[in-house]
Amino acid sequence: MPSTDIKQEFAQNAVPAAASGASVASRPAIIATRKRCEADGVGLSHYVLMDRREKR
Amino acid sequence: MSGSALMSGAPSTGRYANLGTGASLIPFDIGHDDYVALSDPDSAFWALVRKDKLADTLTDSALMSNYQAKAKDFARELHALRFELKPSAVYVNPTERCNLNCTYCYIPEGMRRGGQHMDADRLVEALGRLRSYFSTVLPDGRKPRVIFHGAEPLMNRAALFAAIDAFRDDYVFGVQTNATLLDDEAIGFLADRQVSIGLSLDGPLAETTDATRLTFGGKSVHDKVLRAMEALRGYSAWSVIATCTEKNLDQLVPLVELFHAREVPTCMLNAVRCTLPGARTVRPDDAALARAFIAAVERTHALYRETGRKMVVANFANILLAILAPTARRLMCDISPCGGGRAFFALAPDGGLFPCSEFIGLDAFRGGNLFTDRIEDVLESEAFRKVTGRNVDRIDPCKGCAIRHFCGSPCPAEAHEMNGGMDRVGAFCGFYEEQTRYAFRLIADGKANDFLWDGWDAEEGGVESSFDFVLP
Ligand code: SF4
Ligand code: SF4
Repeated sequence: MPSTDIKQEFAQNAVPAAASGASVASRPAIIATRKRCEADGVGLSHYVLMDRREKR
Repeated sequence: MSGSALMSGAPSTGRYANLGTGASLIPFDIGHDDYVALSDPDSAFWALVRKDKLADTLTDSALMSNYQAKAKDFARELHALRFELKPSAVYVNPTERCNLNCTYCYIPEGMRRGGQHMDADRLVEALGRLRSYFSTVLPDGRKPRVIFHGAEPLMNRAALFAAIDAFRDDYVFGVQTNATLLDDEAIGFLADRQVSIGLSLDGPLAETTDATRLTFGGKSVHDKVLRAMEALRGYSAWSVIATCTEKNLDQLVPLVELFHAREVPTCMLNAVRCTLPGARTVRPDDAALARAFIAAVERTHALYRETGRKMVVANFANILLAILAPTARRLMCDISPCGGGRAFFALAPDGGLFPCSEFIGLDAFRGGNLFTDRIEDVLESEAFRKVTGRNVDRIDPCKGCAIRHFCGSPCPAEAHEMNGGMDRVGAFCGFYEEQTRYAFRLIADGKANDFLWDGWDAEEGGVESSFDFVLP
């Protein structure tokens, strides 16, 4: 089971605001988006079907 | 279900988050300096909120009222994705045999050593039966997918190629192969027919690949796979799977460097499936896996920034998609019920039908036979229902988890075989927590598209926005 230690350890992967060149106050207060399309996922952990755009 | 829109007539005003019929918005830490996440798990709605604005947001805010107006639609969308899909693909195992003896294989060794092939006539008959079935469930113009899968499909190459030629116009085809038999002729045949090709490689050096993937005689296959990769360079429809085990965690960064240098368009870095006991001998620790995985994904991003060439890590991209556009996901493991037995199913060489290839070694999950039973009945069989009935909303601790519809607590085969039942958690809970938190950090920093296929959200591809709320 996950532990608090793991959470703290991974918090170190956070990207500070400074890294993206923005101060905290200039960043959006809220970000919430969602998109939709017709569902047709069929891949699984053993396979992902690739888009087939060009021929060899 | 949450949201006042779903409960009109209830005595609650629905005005207050987490009270009565108000939106249920659970805050959780994503490890970001500036943002926390809120999610309504029942609809997979989420918002990233600046930490200094959290209290305001949970009070009577514009976000709340905007979400209230959409809650019912989002819950319905998620319900349709979870419970109303019809099969559109089949994983076909044309042989039980394989020339390799990988540590973590989900096909029992006896089958792989001496199992049966499906002969060409039988395989053609099978695809004909499947075509008839798919014509009853898929809309006109949408082709079903057939993915040849293993064991090693190229052990039965003549039958495989005959079937692909016989049904060229009827299916979108894919092949997952260990690549040891993927010679130039096979690549030419498959590429001419635009068959999507998946390979497997676990390390940048033979010593790492050899730790899990060897022939029955103990020979390395690493160089053969590299040769096949070289021959595939320039083809758009191929991918490579690396199975992440305790044997290769420290090699994931150089491995994605190798993939990128060889112009692999898409790769997967999959946590080993722990269905059979052999696989559990190389199971990585969740925290170590998350650390190595995130480092490798970050490296693909740095390579993209350096070269302008993107290599998508499909299983991570799928987590991002599950968050950004739940219906756009391509892989059906990180959702519950998973795709097994409902979005697709698997066919064994003896005609046996299973919910997913992952179950082919487990006879209790045989739902019927393609040559003697109706597929509609097989989909309703007890064996299939065990899998399609596994629901993350009823599993401890997942039922209270804010990210349960970005994770799905995979995999039912592992839960059943390793953890003792379908009502048990999946194999890598801690790993999923970290992947999801990382995905949210990328979204907070506006980087998510760098990790996704170009054009994934193009309007001409049928993707539309259903919520767009950014408060300055
Ligand atoms: S979660 Fe397991 S059973 Fe379900 S689709 Fe993925 S591999 Fe198959
Ligand atoms: S497996 Fe863990 S992360 Fe996934 S839904 Fe369950 S509790 Fe949440």
